[in-house]
Amino acid sequence: MATSSINPNLEPVFAFLQSTYSMIESTWNRVPGSAVVARYIRSSHQNDPGRTLLEVLLIIFAVRTLLQSRTRAEGSGKNFISLSEKEIDELVDDWVPESLVQPLSPQEQHELDNVPVFQGPAGSKPKLLSTGKTVMNLVSYNFTGLAGDERITSRAIETLRKYGLGSCGPPGFYGTIDVHMNLEEDIASFLGTEAAIIYSQGFSTISSVIPAFCKRGDIIVADRGVNFAIHKGIQISRSTVRWYDHNDLRSLEEVLQSVEKERIKKRLPLTRRFIVTEGIFENDGAMLDLPKVIALKNKYKFRLCLDESFSFGTLGRTGRGLTELYNVPATEVDLLVGSLANAFCAAGGFCAGSIHVVNHQRINGTSFVFSASMPASLAVSSSEAIQILTNNPTHLTTLHENVRLIRSILEKVDGIHIPSHAASPLIHIQLAKSIPPSSPATKSMKRGHSLEPIQTVKSNAQSVLPANPLQFDIEAEERILQDVVEEALAQGVLITRAKRLRGQEIVEPRPAIKLAVTAGLNRKDTERTATVIKNAFVKVLARKKKAGPMLV
Amino acid sequence: MRIPDDDDAASDTSLSIRSSLRTEDDSSTTYSRSPDDSDDPSDELVTPLQPPNSTQQFTTRHTEFGHCANEDYRHVSAFKPTAKIVPFVEEDPPYYILLPTYFSYIMLIIFGHIRDFFGKRFRSQSYRHLMPSNGYAAMNSDFDSFYTRRLKQRMDDCFSRPITGVPGRTVMLLDRVSHDNKLSFNLTGSKTRALNTASYNYLGFAQAEGGCADAVEEGIRRYGMSSCSPRLEAGTTDLHQQAEALVAKFVGEEDAMIASMGFATNSTTLPALVGKGCLVISDELNHASIRFGVRLSGANVRTFKHNDMGSLEALLREVISQGQPRTHRPWKKILLIVEGLYSMEGTLVNLPGIMELKQKYKFYLYVDEAHSIGALGPHGRGVADYFSIDPAQIDILMGTFTKSFGAAGGYIAGSRALISQLRRRSHATCYSESVSPAVLTQIIASMGSIMGISPPVPQPAMSDPPKSSADVRGEMYVYPGPAPASALPTWMNLPPQLKDGSEGRTRLRRLAFNSRYLSRGLKKLGFITYGHADSPIVPLLLFNPGKMVLFSRLMLARKLPIIVVVVGYPATPLISGRVRFCMSAAHTKEDVDFILKACDEIGDLLDLKHGHVKERWSIEEVLRRSGELVEMEEVE
Ligand SMILES: Cc1ncc(COP(=O)(O)O)c(C=O)c1O
Repeated sequence: MATSSINPNLEPVFAFLQSTYSMIESTWNRVPGSAVVARYIRSSHQNDPGRTLLEVLLIIFAVRTLLQSRTRAEGSGKNFISLSEKEIDELVDDWVPESLVQPLSPQEQHELDNVPVFQGPAGSKPKLLSTGKTVMNLVSYNFTGLAGDERITSRAIETLRKYGLGSCGPPGFYGTIDVHMNLEEDIASFLGTEAAIIYSQGFSTISSVIPAFCKRGDIIVADRGVNFAIHKGIQISRSTVRWYDHNDLRSLEEVLQSVEKERIKKRLPLTRRFIVTEGIFENDGAMLDLPKVIALKNKYKFRLCLDESFSFGTLGRTGRGLTELYNVPATEVDLLVGSLANAFCAAGGFCAGSIHVVNHQRINGTSFVFSASMPASLAVSSSEAIQILTNNPTHLTTLHENVRLIRSILEKVDGIHIPSHAASPLIHIQLAKSIPPSSPATKSMKRGHSLEPIQTVKSNAQSVLPANPLQFDIEAEERILQDVVEEALAQGVLITRAKRLRGQEIVEPRPAIKLAVTAGLNRKDTERTATVIKNAFVKVLARKKKAGPMLV
Repeated sequence: MRIPDDDDAASDTSLSIRSSLRTEDDSSTTYSRSPDDSDDPSDELVTPLQPPNSTQQFTTRHTEFGHCANEDYRHVSAFKPTAKIVPFVEEDPPYYILLPTYFSYIMLIIFGHIRDFFGKRFRSQSYRHLMPSNGYAAMNSDFDSFYTRRLKQRMDDCFSRPITGVPGRTVMLLDRVSHDNKLSFNLTGSKTRALNTASYNYLGFAQAEGGCADAVEEGIRRYGMSSCSPRLEAGTTDLHQQAEALVAKFVGEEDAMIASMGFATNSTTLPALVGKGCLVISDELNHASIRFGVRLSGANVRTFKHNDMGSLEALLREVISQGQPRTHRPWKKILLIVEGLYSMEGTLVNLPGIMELKQKYKFYLYVDEAHSIGALGPHGRGVADYFSIDPAQIDILMGTFTKSFGAAGGYIAGSRALISQLRRRSHATCYSESVSPAVLTQIIASMGSIMGISPPVPQPAMSDPPKSSADVRGEMYVYPGPAPASALPTWMNLPPQLKDGSEGRTRLRRLAFNSRYLSRGLKKLGFITYGHADSPIVPLLLFNPGKMVLFSRLMLARKLPIIVVVVGYPATPLISGRVRFCMSAAHTKEDVDFILKACDEIGDLLDLKHGHVKERWSIEEVLRRSGELVEMEEVE
């Protein structure tokens, strides 16, 4: 104790204080159950400081009710400058806010105006409003060809006539309709999990599922290539994130090891740990090696949160997704998230898992709790889609054949790169050589990078950026791809660039053309579309080459 | 169902009701897994108390949208310039109510912890998911879930009650029982029809019959159920464009954009609007979706006391003069986010006060009209309409279709530049499924029928001459007038009473009457209620968690069952547990009478009448003088 520098007269006082303290402490320790209480307070506080506060508040409720007054944390901190009323008035008068939004640039406006609009329903052969022409559609997520399916629409109408359209309430407040419970059961038994919960929008599903389980202090190990919705979920969860190289399971294992090592080294408490990744990656169509990931997660005792938005309903013999393809029980995946809007051509998303996992979300899944449940007709559409896929797998065999057919044709094209897995119904096509970012001095000199950067340094798990990020000129690449899109459209095939929120993505994905293969087109049509796309690429790339290396 | 207008209407009525029930049974084959037991036709939930006379024709099913022909039971929702806007005050109950409330919570917490303590030691099997095991941390920690397990679970029979059929004026509950202390429920197979005061069905558009449902059916036949793609890729059809143009007209802005989920409309748009260096000022009671979006945006957030203009102005002066934290740089922009009508309190935003502050402090204004759009204002156009404020002065109007319009999804409306920018930048337009054509049809049909379709018809009860406003597609349109005929898809044939806007106006006026009647009536009976008299949401304070459960169960156990929403901590402050009534245009005057009578009886039983109204009325007096109550300017 540093009492020596203090007036020696005080010495006895300190001695007394110290002995009193140790007496209290030892008496406290002797009280039966005191350790439990102390541990309780400590862990309660650690888990949720707010709750400790609440409980303290409860204990002193009498005081609170007598002295009730609202206080607001205001003007706090040493950074606060006191100003006179007059000064404040002047500052208020002087302040000029930026305009709410910037007007669109002509190019942005042009792009927005050229978003395709259908006259009539979306489907494999929709009619464009601008030209009145019918096109072959490889943009809509009509993988199974169920868009506009007679069986679905007639059930939807039947349901409308019994339930009306809207549910007019969140699930907790009389928005749980029997058709929702039926759909949840249907999904759970389709996948073979204990239970499932449905959300009313696919995009908002995973960004609520992640924060329902991952809190501050928990650890998320995520793939660098995950989609935007997952990024948002991770961001809102405030968990500690570690990134591994895109679809690289060696990198995953290293990160898992390092997390465990760090925990032991720093003697951190055991918190929840999740691997978050996708079945088929929205950003490039790559596919996860599920059995290996499951082996890893079991080995390092992580839980797995798998986004199957694009693999559910498209992969496997009956469309049960990645788990069916690899013949892995879906119960091995702790949080299996999927979309009902993509392959099922309905709306919403779901999370399947154990009963505890599902029930927890019924109170903690933000966009489940605070949003109206989906219209009954849409829920029934999904149930019907499950019925159809289970009873006649031809939809999926057609889809898989079409994927193989398109791949076989496109793979012959020079100058393009397809990062997607051979079985993925979502096919991304990038330029084989990247166009380096244009700085005027180097523009004419630099050649494109090849696609496999030589991995010299290891990536840093704390950063979302890979070790040797590929440099590319977004605008230039998008311009070329847009030419391809327009060339294909002129031949009656609707394709699209993968649309991105440039400036809002954590990592800018490489520009690509994104094809959504559909079972709604027969073999002949599929072959035609593939040939049109192939020719469009050949033509545009040849034109660019002629225009000189400046542009390519 | 159409009631024949001949002399023996009464006998025919019961006949036609039976036949309509039979058709209902026929169509209900596959989805409900329990046998359909038919209603008792003598039940006044199914049959109107008074059979219609020879001049009345009702085109709605009484269970979905009540038959109420009496023009006395109507009111126009509008702000009277003579009325003053009172700030939100929380009325406190006497201490002998307050102390037991705290005591209840303390007991619940103590017993909960004791049960956890022993449970974990002696029944560890059922606590497995709460404890670390086998090298895994607990999936959800016992502390995180304490309130769920130990408080909410005790009253779980009052939440998430499953229903079947239309959530209209009445709703069919699927009865359930629990054999494991409400850990899980089993459906018994029987059903109960109850009067519905729980659904956000303000204008009564939750209907399986009628012009809107017919339009939706046609819409599904033409467009299918899905547009299968995000808006920026290929998720746009002509129907989307038509619906967006109509919404812009309805709310009185230049342009509008529709997203497929109301929650996501907030959570995916706000990050596209504000970011680092911006400040969001948010009402302390703003909805979870707003908080979600603001948190994703990376903007700084400050909150002010609920609907308190004094607190807001003090905060504005502070933040503008202090600038950004640490650097003191001026804020790039300040966005004030408020709701039009607060769903737990029933408070109406003080829009005139905010518009005044907006002039002086130059912030941008974002109004979430999830609950107020359709439900407030003489033309149903929301809070701006209610206060006769030009909506074009509000930068961003957001709202949802899940409530007043019986559809789904939400919209953002504002200047054309704003909406164009959001179409590019909102997460939802780029990555989420676009809204289903079936939903769009419901939006167009319901909204169109509130507006009425030109050629213009004389509109009664207009408070002021209509203001001209910008027009989206170059047709004649004057806010808040009828929509031009070209605003509807050519194939959509609305029946005449929807087309001329007469039914829409009736809906608005019935809702305004019902809302005012209930909130005034409860006040006069001596209850503590929150919220504005014109709010269709009427919260009645119960305080004690035990009373929440009892209130909900007693309402359901009545001879004519009523379903209500009870809310407590954490959705409200700890002590102010409440029941929330959502009024609907589908309710009849008699329905509100039922609700008042039920509240009166249960209120006496549970000792709930602690309001400070000067002169209390008996229930008979309230029922008799309903018209007077509704027209009264203030209740003393
Ligand atoms: C203020 C507010 N905003 C947004 C929403 C979300 O709307 P939805 O239920 O359509 O998702 C709600 C719903 O309860 C709300 O009250």
